[in-house]
Amino acid sequence: MDRLSLNESPANAPQRSPRPQNQFPQQAQNALGPAGPQPTGGPPQLPPQMFTTAAQLLDLTDKKLVLILRDGRKLIGVLRSWDQFANLVFQETVERIYAGQLYADVPRGIFIVRGENVLLLGEVDLDREDDIPPTLTKAPFEEVFELKKKEEDKRKKGDKKRYDELQALGFEPEHSGEILF
Amino acid sequence: MADIEDSGPSGSEPLDLVRLSLDETVFVKLRGDRELKGRLHAYDSHCNLVLGDVEETIYVVEEDENEEEIVRVRDS
Amino acid sequence: MLFFSFFKTLTNQTVTIELKNDIRIRGTLKSVDQYLNIKLDDIEVLDLVKYPHLSSVKNMFIRGSVVRYVMLPRSEVDVGLLEDATRRGKLRIVFLI
Repeated sequence: MDRLSLNESPANAPQRSPRPQNQFPQQAQNALGPAGPQPTGGPPQLPPQMFTTAAQLLDLTDKKLVLILRDGRKLIGVLRSWDQFANLVFQETVERIYAGQLYADVPRGIFIVRGENVLLLGEVDLDREDDIPPTLTKAPFEEVFELKKKEEDKRKKGDKKRYDELQALGFEPEHSGEILF
Repeated sequence: MADIEDSGPSGSEPLDLVRLSLDETVFVKLRGDRELKGRLHAYDSHCNLVLGDVEETIYVVEEDENEEEIVRVRDS
Repeated sequence: MLFFSFFKTLTNQTVTIELKNDIRIRGTLKSVDQYLNIKLDDIEVLDLVKYPHLSSVKNMFIRGSVVRYVMLPRSEVDVGLLEDATRRGKLRIVFLI
């Protein structure tokens, strides 16, 4: 790529339903048509279908992923379906909870996740997925859950104090302690 | 203080004032106890910003004392 | 569309993304879409000790709505061009790379 134009037609046409492997990308492009005026005589551009949510999630479909939600939950599973809002379907999902130096896995089954709750999706490197950092120990769910609850109660108390003091100075909390990761 | 003769009152909107600050050093107050100072290079209607030579200030509350300010300087 | 177009000109650059939960991730910008969702390759999590669940992740999709900052290589940004595009409010500007 030697030249790229800022003069693009918007890629905001509605996207097809999930699992677009069959006709993506060429036919999808034709079926939807350009959503805006095509630049005339501009420099060559990268194909716009490279820059859609569909193209980004297509690569991740049927792969083992770590899904992190806005409330900090970590789910590990296989991405089976999705749409342009990053609404997701996960299969064989395991929730991994962390507390202190402990972690536990809880089998959860199938998830449908509304896109607004998604923080990120990470592709698990299958060669490295068992390389749990040596500082972490697997423990029974109940034990980790109790510890986590204590940690969160403590954090919430600290947050409350912090928000009160900073709010008095005219600051607005970015989030009400829900994004913790 | 802003001179808005180039965009008449009929077509002017709040972000037109921001346009006058392009290539100027601006102060940005963010959600989440943060402030930025930097040179404004671009913005859009969502208030996404491109800033250069940014200084970020994060306010934190220390356990015992009332309020402490740490300043992190970042290049952007 | 300005930011979407701008990010497209930055594909294959190394960027650092800071999320609203303070985690910082460095990686190669592979793709962006109209919501400013971002795909990063060859990621490296700063402060991995605090985020052990990302230790085996190599590529990621980040939802645009949770990004606080994207830190860019200064040399790859033509600030004059950005200012012109912003001033005009429309994108009849061509980036030459």
